[in-house]
Amino acid sequence: MSQILLVARRDYLAYVGAWGFWLSLITAPLIIAILMFAPIFLARAEPPRVLTILAERAEDATAVANAFDTMALEDARREVSAYVAAAAPAIATDAIAAFDAAPSREAGIQAARHIVSMREPRALGAFPAPSPRYILIDPPAADVEALRPYLDARQTLADGRTLYGALNLRRVEGAPRIEYWSVNLSHDEPSNIARRALRLEMQREALVVQGVDPAEAERLQALDPSITQLDPRPSAGTGEVTLRQRAPSFAALALAFILWSVVFSVANMLLTGVIEEKSNKILDTLLTSVSPLQMLIGKLLGVAGVSATLFLFWGALGGTLLSMAATSMADSFVGQIAAAFLEPRLIAAFAIGFVAGYLMYGAIFLALGSLCESIQEAQTLLGPVALVLAMPMMLITPALDNPNAPIIEMASWVPIFTPFLLLIRAPAGLPWIEIAGMGAMMFAAVIVILLLAAQIFRAGVVNQLSVSTLFGRKAKG
Amino acid sequence: MNAALEAEGLVKRYGARTAVQDISFSVPQGAIYGVLGPNGAGKSSTLRMLVGVLRPTAGQITLMGGPISRQTLQRVGYLPEERGLYRSMSARGAIAYLARLKGTPASIAYKRADALLEAHGLGKVRRKKIKTLSKGMAQKVQVLASIAHEPDFIIFDEPFSGLDPVNQRVLEDTIRAQAAAGRTILFSTHVMEHAERLCDRILLIAHGQKAFEGTVPEALALAPSVAMLETDGDFDLAAALGPRGFNIELDGQEHGNKRWRAHLDNSKGSRQLLAACVEAGAPLSLFEPARASLHEAFVALVGDKAMPAAE
Repeated sequence: MSQILLVARRDYLAYVGAWGFWLSLITAPLIIAILMFAPIFLARAEPPRVLTILAERAEDATAVANAFDTMALEDARREVSAYVAAAAPAIATDAIAAFDAAPSREAGIQAARHIVSMREPRALGAFPAPSPRYILIDPPAADVEALRPYLDARQTLADGRTLYGALNLRRVEGAPRIEYWSVNLSHDEPSNIARRALRLEMQREALVVQGVDPAEAERLQALDPSITQLDPRPSAGTGEVTLRQRAPSFAALALAFILWSVVFSVANMLLTGVIEEKSNKILDTLLTSVSPLQMLIGKLLGVAGVSATLFLFWGALGGTLLSMAATSMADSFVGQIAAAFLEPRLIAAFAIGFVAGYLMYGAIFLALGSLCESIQEAQTLLGPVALVLAMPMMLITPALDNPNAPIIEMASWVPIFTPFLLLIRAPAGLPWIEIAGMGAMMFAAVIVILLLAAQIFRAGVVNQLSVSTLFGRKAKG
Repeated sequence: MNAALEAEGLVKRYGARTAVQDISFSVPQGAIYGVLGPNGAGKSSTLRMLVGVLRPTAGQITLMGGPISRQTLQRVGYLPEERGLYRSMSARGAIAYLARLKGTPASIAYKRADALLEAHGLGKVRRKKIKTLSKGMAQKVQVLASIAHEPDFIIFDEPFSGLDPVNQRVLEDTIRAQAAAGRTILFSTHVMEHAERLCDRILLIAHGQKAFEGTVPEALALAPSVAMLETDGDFDLAAALGPRGFNIELDGQEHGNKRWRAHLDNSKGSRQLLAACVEAGAPLSLFEPARASLHEAFVALVGDKAMPAAE
């Protein structure tokens, strides 16, 4: 045992002593934060895009302009709603009610802001000032030809801004035709907004032609069923499926991706580590002191320690934020997702999945590494291995859709899938006995794989069996 | 004397290729034992079987009175032919680490590492990383790492390769010192001079098979010996001693003297040759029996092609 711990300790210190470890320790949370917030900052940093509408019929222009206004209103409502739900959940309902009661978008923002300033002034600091994605202006020229210089930036608008695009709404034989002019060829959202607006307009016109009262036609267009999803199980209480019920699935999905990326990156560390030791010619010396199995376990423990250190740091950071979110924003989206991570079944599944998945995939990668003479040779193996590792991810989407489908149930008892599918299925009410059973099965599978991997490891490092010899390109001896 | 190691009928096959074929030998307790042979003779495979790294295809090994086990291997120091240390470890860290893997407590391992490095002129670099040391220094560190746990049995595989002549001498001294401390040492080499200077007993392997096992004098006795002679004037030594059973041939002439080469054997040795010269009244100006070398002995045993060139 002491030899295993010595091997583990040396590997641990070697990794922790490398500057790359400290870099990943510090940069990973920063990168995650950047990935989470960069799109928001980018979206906020971009000024609204300036559009203009040319239309043969004023009704078409009005319908499209209204669609843009509605979108801007909904965007603002969504942003204000998300903010108050996170920062001031106790008054979120009132703030949104005030927004909805206001006559315009700007007034709605002000009304919600007023509620926050009166009742939760501490949450006012970062209150959003959403700006619309598009601003509609009167056409600076009478037709498309005259608009061209504005559209390709040869000419700016009177206030110095650039015209982003122009919608030319024509009627051909009575039917609307949309021409969208813009130099931003890959972005067609404005034309899609116009299309949806004019489709509704066409339906309204058709209803009126059929003799339906215009007001009634508008009412008919606004018809939309309400949907309630219900859970029939006794444990589900009222049965209504809300975010609180769905949150564990989102958390499980996030944990499955974390597990997958950790297993893959840590397994790569093991693979390259053992290849480096082979090329350093140190294994012969070590093998007179430790058996291949001891060395394999020692190495797995050493790198597990590295992962544990990373997770302890990140976990302490993330856990603090999550528990803060779970308690202080209990009713908000963030709070409910945070609370879902603390679901006991999910924690058990993650613990089993992480330990067993790491040991199993780690042992496989160590064994593969022992068969390689160089990183280049390892890369030839990584392709097929990556495909095998991708297979569990392919089952995650179907498992989310139907965690109790027979194929998913069966696959969750196949060791290479178990760590991931157990995570996905756990929040769906997987019985504890089944979780324990999968844990026991994984424990047995890990032992078998460790023993097999030790044999391959011995063949690789002692008898110098390699990928090359396996494929008969080079004889060793 | 008790045997520290006994190997019986060792065979190692790699697929269809036989690297070691039915080799048996015995290493006495406290001896310096050399395993000699050209590159590819099967020396490293034999040594790797002795330390349990390779499993023999057939045969038995008894190490310090028992079969190879983790416990007996704790008492063995091993320097493999393919050497290497963790490049990012310090010299003392590397020595202490390998000693600790052999069961030495940490505090003792570090003290021994410091003492060994100091004693071998590496005290100043003890905290330097292996990757910053010269190849020779790193090799010395590895030798020290193999003996830091004070093993009873030390196995060095080609320990002199890669060392300059000065460090080869230092290593020879280290081997003698370890033997003087009562340890058994077995090393392999393809350079006969090291074995000749150090070994009590030797094993010669050629083509995976044992060609000889015994003491160095026993091996030297197998080498054909010669003596170089020089006579003044026209004296015909071959004609004078030929009838007495000596095989003598003319080797050249210089300044009016004749040089002769006499081929000796056990019954007609250098002493008998000198006596015969005196009896025949040969005007000798030079009598120089040439000392046989291990290299010559092994050429006689296995032929020129199987042997490496002498260094």
